[in-house]
Amino acid sequence: MRPLDPRLLRTAAAARTFVVAAAALSVLATVCVVVQAFAIGHAVAPVALDGVDLAAVATPLAALVGAVVLRAALTWFRERLGAQAAVDVVAQLRTRLLEHTSRLPHRWRTRHGAEVTTLATRGLDDLVPYVTGYLPQLLLTAILTPLTLLVVLRLDLVSGLVVAATLPLIPVFMWLVGVTTQRWSEQRLEALAAQGSQLLDLLAGLTTLRALGREVGPGVRVRRLGEAYRTTTMQTLRVAFLSSAVLELLASLSVALVAVEIGMRLVYDRIDLATGLTVLILAPEIYQPLRQVGAQFHASTNGLTAVQRVFAVLDEPLPADGERAVPAWDRLVVSGLAVAADDRGYLAPADLDAVIEPGRVTALAGASGAGKTTTAMALLRLQPPDAGTLVLEHDGERTDLADVASAAWWAQAAWVPQRVVTSGGTVRSHALGGASGPDAEARLVQAAEATGLAHVVADLPLGWATPLAAEAGGLSSGLSVGQTHRLELTRALVRGARLVVADEPTAHLAPGDEQEVVAALRAVADAGAAVVVVAHRPGTLAAADVVVQVRSSAPAEVAA
Amino acid sequence: MSVVEPGAQLLPEPAGLPPAAAVTTGVRADLRALRPVLAMLGLRRAVLARAVALGSLTLAASVALSGTAAWLIVRAAQMPPVMYLNVAAVGVRTFGILRGVSRYLERLATHDAALAGVAELRTQLYERLSAGRTEELARLRRGDLLARTGADVDDVGDVVIRALVPAGVSVVVGLGSVVLIACFSVPSALVLLACLAVTAVVVPALAGRADSRAETVRVASRAEVATATEALVSRAAELAVGGGRPDALAALEAAHTQARDGERLAARPLAWSAATAVLAVGASVLGALLVAVPAVGSGALTATELAVVVLVPLAAFEATAPLPAAAAQLRRSAQAARRISALLAATDSAARPGVVRDSVAPDGVAPDAAPEALDPLATTLQPPGLHARGLVCGWPGGEACTAPLDLDLTGGSLAVVGPSGTGKTTLLLTLAGMLAPVGGAVRVDGVDPHGMRGPERAAHVALTAEDAHVFGTSVLENIRVARGDVAREEALELLDAVGLRAWVEALPDGLDTVVGPETISGGERRRLLVARALASPAPLLLLDEPAEHLPDDVAQALVRDLLALGRHERSVVVVTHHVAAVEAADAVVTLGHAVPAGAAATGAAPGAASAAPAPAASEA
Repeated sequence: MRPLDPRLLRTAAAARTFVVAAAALSVLATVCVVVQAFAIGHAVAPVALDGVDLAAVATPLAALVGAVVLRAALTWFRERLGAQAAVDVVAQLRTRLLEHTSRLPHRWRTRHGAEVTTLATRGLDDLVPYVTGYLPQLLLTAILTPLTLLVVLRLDLVSGLVVAATLPLIPVFMWLVGVTTQRWSEQRLEALAAQGSQLLDLLAGLTTLRALGREVGPGVRVRRLGEAYRTTTMQTLRVAFLSSAVLELLASLSVALVAVEIGMRLVYDRIDLATGLTVLILAPEIYQPLRQVGAQFHASTNGLTAVQRVFAVLDEPLPADGERAVPAWDRLVVSGLAVAADDRGYLAPADLDAVIEPGRVTALAGASGAGKTTTAMALLRLQPPDAGTLVLEHDGERTDLADVASAAWWAQAAWVPQRVVTSGGTVRSHALGGASGPDAEARLVQAAEATGLAHVVADLPLGWATPLAAEAGGLSSGLSVGQTHRLELTRALVRGARLVVADEPTAHLAPGDEQEVVAALRAVADAGAAVVVVAHRPGTLAAADVVVQVRSSAPAEVAA
Repeated sequence: MSVVEPGAQLLPEPAGLPPAAAVTTGVRADLRALRPVLAMLGLRRAVLARAVALGSLTLAASVALSGTAAWLIVRAAQMPPVMYLNVAAVGVRTFGILRGVSRYLERLATHDAALAGVAELRTQLYERLSAGRTEELARLRRGDLLARTGADVDDVGDVVIRALVPAGVSVVVGLGSVVLIACFSVPSALVLLACLAVTAVVVPALAGRADSRAETVRVASRAEVATATEALVSRAAELAVGGGRPDALAALEAAHTQARDGERLAARPLAWSAATAVLAVGASVLGALLVAVPAVGSGALTATELAVVVLVPLAAFEATAPLPAAAAQLRRSAQAARRISALLAATDSAARPGVVRDSVAPDGVAPDAAPEALDPLATTLQPPGLHARGLVCGWPGGEACTAPLDLDLTGGSLAVVGPSGTGKTTLLLTLAGMLAPVGGAVRVDGVDPHGMRGPERAAHVALTAEDAHVFGTSVLENIRVARGDVAREEALELLDAVGLRAWVEALPDGLDTVVGPETISGGERRRLLVARALASPAPLLLLDEPAEHLPDDVAQALVRDLLALGRHERSVVVVTHHVAAVEAADAVVTLGHAVPAGAAATGAAPGAASAAPAPAASEA
């Protein structure tokens, strides 16, 4: 895992700005550290050697005050900027991630949607400690450590060399410890993960065990697993803590060496006290950022993993878009349509032929998993076919649907999902769908009459002004599932959609409600739209003009 | 006596969050919340003391390294014979090594103590949950149960590593440094004490305020972000075709703006906290100089002591550095502890069925209105079998969800149907004794199932909930969850009975294949759960939606087979929405409707079952 992925800087502008700002702050912080050390050294030395009074060391004291105040101000700024940058970086990545995901093929989303949702909500939040903690610390290490070392080298070559010699030992030893224990650690971590999930599995099953009267006994297993988990964790930690122990040991030993070596040279007057004290104060500062960067890295690995996952999603190619306008069409010919069910190694649908015509209700039937919804998505240009074509025909003129601009195609299509989620407004505003003017009003009245929504509205106490739920998952208040579908179909009619695709609009409906929705579908077809409906129920299938059997290429037993 | 307010939720809110009023801030409140749960960690004083001692040794070595180095350098500048410096030179290096080694030992000791505590707490929690009342367990979603026993327990353990031990170390080392300095100069020691106090109190307090502000803000913006995310991912098709994508992205942007404003507000005290820490260190050095320099002039302090007094503070502040993080951890752990305590209080409560029953009066039905209905249970309708009189089901603290029911089931089968939300699952949980009846009474083989524990329950009734857990172990062990001594042959027969024979034979290790989310589909999972239920020794089987996720025809056949089981030695109650299959049941209860369909006459002969609304039933 790279500590600073250049892709992160490319993708999130906020990260770029913050890195530059944090680098500038680090340079200033280095200046403060050096000034502070000089000030203390030059304040203590004359007093220790000559017993001068406060007035004589007023200059270094003033410098010390300045350095402390400036350092505090820099810290203040760094915290403020870090918190802001963290929110912004997360926001920018999330927006990119979700926008990209919403444009990917339907089947990819079905398969990875839950993963993306987790990543966008919880996963990316783990990036906050990376941005606020690790990133500035990394920059501080990259700037303060070498700059301060240069200052020490300039002040006192011997001490500088001691530090310069021990400093590279830290990464070398940490690397050595890491390499020699890697295999062992990996095994431990695997065992740890296994024990952890066993334990959680047992805990998660407690309610089930109680329901079966079998809860007595596993308590012992919980204890045993807990103890085993502890043992394995301790074995892992004994090694894992080694590398930081090496760091700590080398850092404090180096400071000790510097102190002794300065002391010995002071005795022979090879160095003055002020310089000696300055170097003594600076030496631990050189190691300080190194010691912290490791701890911060630990806290940000989850965030870095999340970023890598975001990039993996962004690397998914978007389906190609066409450029042509939608031609006049009176037939949508589907031939040999196939979409890979990529995780299961077969096609669903496989080799599907169908003709969709305006004015007709076409039902897509088939076993679950056969690819009915995927076929619907292909008709809507939301799922590129892996094989086969979708061709718009008119008077012998043929246009491949893939060459048509998707936005233009969507402008004359409507999609009615199984579960309609409304986003506020009223029944009226929803049915109008943004259309306005007397013309739209007339269309609304006509459409509502055709789909039967008019009767539904007549029974509502607030009529057309009935408010709709605005939050996610909130169904339209007071409307049943069947009524909501009639509302959606009315909306499609008002929009003047030429292709209306509905996903199981009659599932979970009482027979009476089913007939009403079927009638609404028929009304939409009569108004001149090509209606495609994914259907299971015999009542709905019987009402369709054409029933297209969708089949997958899966072996029979897998499909069952 | 709890009062059910009008409009109270049917289902109680998940026990995940403590009521807002209970979340009081402040270290003292946090410690109070932690105490009972910390006691369950079973930490030994000696173990904690060892960790604090090792941690203090680490930082003491650090302070000593600074002090000795300062002394050494200033003493050297006075050019004494080298032999006078040898002890200090050795001391400096020793402290350098000691610091590294003791830090390593301290981390191991702290983690070991915390892990031992976590294992102990988890076991105790498991045992108390498995012995306590079942209501809370039944209402808890699996994710919440895992969060309580998994992440929350770990969070409580972390308080040892990140708060208790560092706080102990900072007190020991901070005061130790002050005492050390006081040996040379009392005023300097007072300056150091004041500055340390600032970093130990003001800095963590500010950080804590930022932390709680940020949390409030994040809860709000997280919900907005989740809504926008859900829309863009799950409703992508709708948004693309309907042209709603820009709106959804705008909603996401609005959520981000809200988060940004919130973080800006929260970051303010955090920035002040960090800046104050820097100022405190600077002030202590400066203060030491201002006090000590004149003291050297007056001869009260020697030159070497001056160096020690000025340089030691720089190292001493290492002790208070982890305190802001410790305060944050304390808050987090206290919240976890509150959730654990709330869960334990709900399950440990000594309330018995009768008390719970009396506490909630469903609309129009006085629970004590039908004492005569209880009498037959005690006398005429003796075991075996399932009998209920005037049974009203509901969640504790919530409204009743069913009208009063009379049930008699002896070696027969009963189907429970009805639209979702009419209390089918609640009824089943009540029959299983996982919930206390809100009104009326239920007996299984003459015993109130609500008091049953462990083997006693297993001998009478077995419930398979809709979300029953499939354990991450082999197929065979999953069946043995119901009864430990199921033989391989018997397991295969049971799997055969639910149509899983071919599936299990196709598995790489057959019965010994470990089941995971990848090896088992939704339908197979259901059938495995049914096979497990069949393995149970209980004469009464209760199954909630056993045919969910199965193709229609398969589902109907399975429900029919299960209901037919009732013809043999067993009683079966099946909750299902496969209405077509329920004709195989001896009796049907339709919830959400006034008159049960297919109700048989009362009076139970062996092999017969009946279900009827109780006379006291209020028409819905």
